[in-house]
Amino acid sequence: MLAFRSEAHVDRWCEQTGLARGAAFSLETMWRLADAWYRDRLSTDWRRRTPDEAQALFTEVGLTGDFWRLT
Amino acid sequence: MKRNGTTRASRGSGVTELDDRVRVALYERFVEEGEAPSADDVASLLSVRVEDVTGAFRRLEEAHVIVLVPGTSDIWMANPLSAVPTAFAVETSRGTFWGNCIWDGLGTVAMLGGNGTVTTHCPDCEEPTTLRVDGGRLIDADGVAHFAVPARRWWDDIGFT
Repeated sequence: MLAFRSEAHVDRWCEQTGLARGAAFSLETMWRLADAWYRDRLSTDWRRRTPDEAQALFTEVGLTGDFWRLT
Repeated sequence: MKRNGTTRASRGSGVTELDDRVRVALYERFVEEGEAPSADDVASLLSVRVEDVTGAFRRLEEAHVIVLVPGTSDIWMANPLSAVPTAFAVETSRGTFWGNCIWDGLGTVAMLGGNGTVTTHCPDCEEPTTLRVDGGRLIDADGVAHFAVPARRWWDDIGFT
């Protein structure tokens, strides 16, 4: 889970490392997911999301499709 | 109803009330000190036996809340925080930390109030970049995040993910 300057840099890095290209998306979307995911982590009554809840959060920030399917 | 030693479905599989206390204590200490507490530290904080804390650490790892250094009871990750230096340096008013990845770097800022920076570099060109979050908003961030591993396989090898 890395940050690149652009999708072209992702493509070049994948070619050079031989790693398959996964999912690339905006840092704004990354922030929205990180904020929603971790905002309450220090709360005493925090609990881990169920797969359905996590899936709904991915959908809410626009991360959909087979790559994001948890089950 | 909470009862000591019992599980509650909403906590995740096998997580007990003691585990919740251990989780809260370890995160609070991690944030206060800027480094991961040991099982001994947490046992002292909670006035419980260290064996109880190491057991809680294992259950929290099984529940994908924390990650231990393989073969030890030492914390490697208390997501979003990393106990070891990474390529994701986080600065906030509550201290400096390491995130496990770009998700966790930004997540650390979110967890600590939504103001701070994450400094990393493009793995392709090595160009450094600092992402700034101000008042819960990401400011002028060019670039993209890339996840190499599909979501359902993230925990197959969380260190690589």
